[in-house]
Formats: sequence, C-alpha cells, structure tokens
Amino acid sequence: MLTIEQLSLAFGRNEPVLEDVDLTLEPGRFMSLIGPSGCGKSTLLRAVTGLQRPSSGRVHLNVERKHVAFLFQDDALLPWRSARDNVALGLRNQGRSKRAARAIADEWLAAVGLDGFGDRWPRQLSGGQRKRVAIAQCLALQPRLLLMDEPFASLDAIVRHYLTSDLLNWVERERLTVLMVTHDLEEAIALSDQVVLLGNGPRAHIKGRFDVPLERPRDLVQVRTDPRFTALAQQLWRALSEEVAPLASGIGRPALKVVNE
Amino acid sequence: MTRLLTGVYLRRTIALVIFLGGWELLSRNGYIDPFYLPPPSAIWGWVQGQFATGAIFPHMQATFGAALIGLALGIIAGIMLGFTAALMPYLAELLEPVMAMLNAIPRVILAPLFIIWLGIDLSSKVALSFILVVVLTFFAVYNGIKDVDYRLVERVRTLGGGPLVLIREVYVPSVVAWVMGNLKVAVGFAFTGAVVGEFVASARGLGYLLSYAQSTYNATMTMALIFLIMVFVMILFTLAGLLERHLLRWKYA
Ligand SMILES: Nc1ncnc2c1ncn2[C@@H]1O[C@H](COP(=O)(O)OP(=O)(O)O)[C@@H](O)[C@H]1O
Ligand SMILES: [Mg+2]
Repeated sequence: MLTIEQLSLAFGRNEPVLEDVDLTLEPGRFMSLIGPSGCGKSTLLRAVTGLQRPSSGRVHLNVERKHVAFLFQDDALLPWRSARDNVALGLRNQGRSKRAARAIADEWLAAVGLDGFGDRWPRQLSGGQRKRVAIAQCLALQPRLLLMDEPFASLDAIVRHYLTSDLLNWVERERLTVLMVTHDLEEAIALSDQVVLLGNGPRAHIKGRFDVPLERPRDLVQVRTDPRFTALAQQLWRALSEEVAPLASGIGRPALKVVNE
Repeated sequence: MTRLLTGVYLRRTIALVIFLGGWELLSRNGYIDPFYLPPPSAIWGWVQGQFATGAIFPHMQATFGAALIGLALGIIAGIMLGFTAALMPYLAELLEPVMAMLNAIPRVILAPLFIIWLGIDLSSKVALSFILVVVLTFFAVYNGIKDVDYRLVERVRTLGGGPLVLIREVYVPSVVAWVMGNLKVAVGFAFTGAVVGEFVASARGLGYLLSYAQSTYNATMTMALIFLIMVFVMILFTLAGLLERHLLRWKYA
C-alpha cells in the first residue's frame, strides 16, 4: 500500500530532519509511528501526502491519491463554510455536484454522531464536534489509506476514548490501512498491528519495529490488561527512553528510570 | 424597541435634549451670538427648507455619486492589486513602497493635483475618493492573503483541491473577510474624498455648498451641512455594517 525508500528530508540548508527512512505498510494493516517530540514524525507523514517534498529517496503509494485521506492534528475547518460544506468539499473536488456532495455529507455527519449539525458554522461546534467533522471529511472520501497525525491529542480523555473507538470500528469494518503518528505509546499498541519507533532527530531514522501480538478487533479497554500488551509496553518504553534520554538532562531522566524498573 | 427607551439610550436621549434645549435657549436669549453659533432650530430650519425645495438634491447626488463610485472603484482596484501583489512577489516589491508612501501621507493633499489633471467636475472627486480607498483596501487584501491560514490551504489541498478550489474556498473568503472588516473605514474615506475634493474646487456637491457657506460666513448653513454629512455617513455606516454582518455571518453567528 505504501513504501518509503531511503527517504531523506531537509528544510533549506539545515541538517536533514529525516535520513534514510525505510518503511513498508501492507494493505489492511494499522501502523503507528512513535518517537520523541520534534524528531520528524509529522514531517514524514507530510512527505507521504505530498505536502512536503523529500530531498532524496521516494514515497511509493500503491493507491490512487484520491483514496488517501489525512486527518490532521488540529481541527482547522474552513470557518466560512458550514459543517456540511466542509465535509462536502472533498466530494465536490472528486467531481460530484453540489447537491449530491451535500447529501452525502449529511449522511456522514449523521454517521459520526452529528445528525442535524450540518448548518452549524465551525465556531459553533465544540472541539470534539469539530474533530468529528474532520473525521467525516476524511471518511466521506471512502479512503483506502488513512493517515493521521496525533488525531486526538488535543481532546479530553472521554471524548478521546469514544472518538478512538468509533474510528477503530470504522477501520475494522472497511479494513482500512492506517498510518498513525502518536506520542501516546499505549494508544499506539492498543490500536496497531505494528509500532514503528522513529529515533531522535536530526537525521532521524527508524530505530525499531515492533509487531503487536494481539488479534483484532480489540476492545480498547480490555486490551490494556492483556499481559502481552504490558510486556510490549515495557519493551517500547525502554526503547523510547533510550531515544529520549540524550535529550533529557536531569529533569527527564529520573522519571523515565522509574518506568524502566 | 423597548430597549431604546431604557437604560443607556434613555440617558443619552435626555442628555441630548438638555444639550440642544440649553443651546437653543442661550442662543435665543442673546447669551450666544447666533452669528457664530446659530440655534438648533435655525440649523434644522435650513435643512428643512433645502429638502422642501429640493435644492439640495443635485448636491447630494454629486457627493454620493463621487463617493460611491470612488468607493466601488477603490475596492475593486485594491482587491485586484492586493491579490496580484500577494501572488507575484516581484510586483509586490515595486508596489509595496508606493502604497506605503501613499498610506503615510494625508492623501487629501492630492486634491489640488487631481483638479489640475482632471478638472473641477466629478472625475477629480472620484479620483480623490478612489485614492483614499484603494490604498486602504490594498493593504487589507495584501496582508490578508499573506497571512492566510496556511493550515486551511493544506487542508483543502489534501482534500483534492486544485488552485481554483483554493482560490474559491480559502483566498476569496479570506479577502472578503478582510475587506468587510475595513468597509466602514472605507466608506468614511470615500465620503471624505468626495467632500474635500468638492471643497477645494467644484460647482456642485455638499463640499461645494460647504465652501460657499464658509466664504459667505454663513454659520447656520455650515453647521447644517456638517450635520447632514454626519447623518449621511452614519446611514452608510449602518448599511456597511449590515452587509458585513451578512457576508461574515460565520463570524457573528
Ligand atoms: N517548515 C519547517 N521549516 C523548518 N523546519 C521545520 C519545519 N517543519 C518542521 N521543522 C523541523 O523539523 C523537525 C521535525 O518536526 P516535526 O515533524 O513537526 O516533529 P514531530 O511531529 O515529530 O514532533 C523539528 O526540529 C522542526 O523544528
Ligand atoms: Mg508533530
């Protein structure tokens, strides 16, 4: 579905943020990308969508562009378009008429639990509701590959839990291929088939790949008590700590040590 | 409607009545020289007379005409220049200092020049209105486009939008927001341009009447005209405000 080969990426004349990144994502798989903050996770995802040009190497998408959806970290919707028209936008870009696009948009709004909210302006919606609109915006395109950049980071725990499980249901039903960036290690394990650890930047590259030995579909609450989950969590913590430790002087280190024991 | 009769509006009305009443009384009883400060009744009488005979209409037509044409042309040209400058950095390099200079000076000093170039008819007034509005609009649009929320641009692009969709969905609404945010100021500027242009040299218009009143030391007429211009600008402000609230309803909802 997605292959990244020897990708390097530098901003201007700065030292490359990413260097020699290799990644393969098989159809139907859910992959999470974790790594220290600022290491280049967002940049890598943006390179996949084409928003950022790699300096060298290549991104090969085995799927049409129009079947790739990108869920951003923030929920910036067009403030001057109603929730309905925000969802309809991608559909109209695919060549559908305004009326057809709006009708489909309404169905998707209902599907994400926003029945009757079509006429609202974005500023009349809560953060969680805006995120739902953004999800509808992505799913309405019936993507085969879903890219997500810390999609729920800004939401409170409860909204986050429900949105995550709703989205997961959809992913299961459609057998979507997913690449998700997250800084939440447990979220990464709970959702994915494979967790990929991106090392420290600059010149960040893949430091480890961890298969999650848990069958899908999963119950997001139950899965966390599974011994295999906790074992992998510890293993990942250790690997991540090695990456974070050089960054953290004094303050960060003791806190991470406690977790290691 | 009931709100108009209570609280702050009531207090303001009372204050206004006391102010005008006191002024009227002082003026009638000879405490103030009506040559310098005519009573409100005299000012109102002049206004009434003008509207009754219809003598003022051609002058209103001239001023409104110049102001509204200048406003419309200024906004259109400001949007086009701002848009092109924002998309073509080389043009911006040339245009920005010129506009910045025009922005820094009190642009009404250009009035004599426009009269020399364009004569004392409508066109010189339109030109002054235009130059006042175009600079304001240019900066609103130019800065508006440069500051366009880049996240929205990326969002539309990942949703499959090409350049035309970007312009329709992101740039045009941003520009409308910026222009509408400045519309009231632009209306004020347009009126200023028309009236000052007429004041400097013309044969018609509220500004012409004002200069006539001044040259004949007619305080009643002068104050009546100032009052009228104030009322007209307030009406245009209200209309501009309504338009803004409609076009930017996503902001006010
Ligand atoms: N547009 C940009 N110009 C220059 N440097 C950038 C730009 N975007 C990101 N960076 C740098 O690239 C690095 C990785 O950023 P990012 O991908 O956002 O990290 P992450 O998502 O892993 O937290 C950071 O050091 C950041 O400062
Ligand atoms: Mg990021």
